[in-house]
Amino acid sequence: MKSEILHRKLQRYINGESHPAETRQIQTWLSCTSSEEQLTPEERSLLELEILQEIQAYTAYPLFYPKKEKPWWQKITTLF
Amino acid sequence: MSRISTPDQSLIDRLGLDDTEAFEELYRHYWHSLYRYSVRKLQSPIDAKKIVRTIFIDLWEQRHSLPVSFSLSQHLYAEVRKEVVKSLSEKLEEPGTHEIFEKRFEQEFSVESLLAARKPISGKYTVINTPSELIRQQSGQNGLAAQTTLSTVKWLLQSFTNKLSLINLLSYPKN
Repeated sequence: MKSEILHRKLQRYINGESHPAETRQIQTWLSCTSSEEQLTPEERSLLELEILQEIQAYTAYPLFYPKKEKPWWQKITTLF
Repeated sequence: MSRISTPDQSLIDRLGLDDTEAFEELYRHYWHSLYRYSVRKLQSPIDAKKIVRTIFIDLWEQRHSLPVSFSLSQHLYAEVRKEVVKSLSEKLEEPGTHEIFEKRFEQEFSVESLLAARKPISGKYTVINTPSELIRQQSGQNGLAAQTTLSTVKWLLQSFTNKLSLINLLSYPKN
């Protein structure tokens, strides 16, 4: 499909103005999940932390809602 | 940092009370599926990262206005699809990207590719309806005759029942 045509279709879809057939075509494409992208566990945990830090930086929630300090007995029980 | 998953609803309730731990628990539970899906669709880890970030920032900002019967998985499913379409549309607006995408979408939007999405998912799991079917399947996997497997299962069940009745006899002394 030509990029210009696809762009116009996507624009109509975003604005809720697409024809039923177009909607079905885009939704079917969205449901297609063929190729597989694999991350190593290290990459995965690094990325997890990276995105979380970006969210924290944007929303600043750790500043407004700091984590409560756990009581000492809970700290001990988590060790076991 | 707890890795024990709590049901979504209780985490969402806690999220409404500004519980950051609940938010992080939800993030850890869902971020990877959203990321993987976005990478598959956009072929761009940077855009996928941006999408995951946007979705969770929105979730945090909307935490006080979530409806009562809120389904997080459904919400995330709808959001990731919406963001993928938006991101793709933005990419197509950039000059010089047309040639890169043209070939890919010609293939991805072909009737054959789209038809593949309508086929039922075929995995390694099969639905087993009856015990005899299970026995037949197990026999096939282990290279045994169905009758041998059946007698082994019968013998195992019998010895298990015997053991249970023995435990019963020992644990409840008669008055």
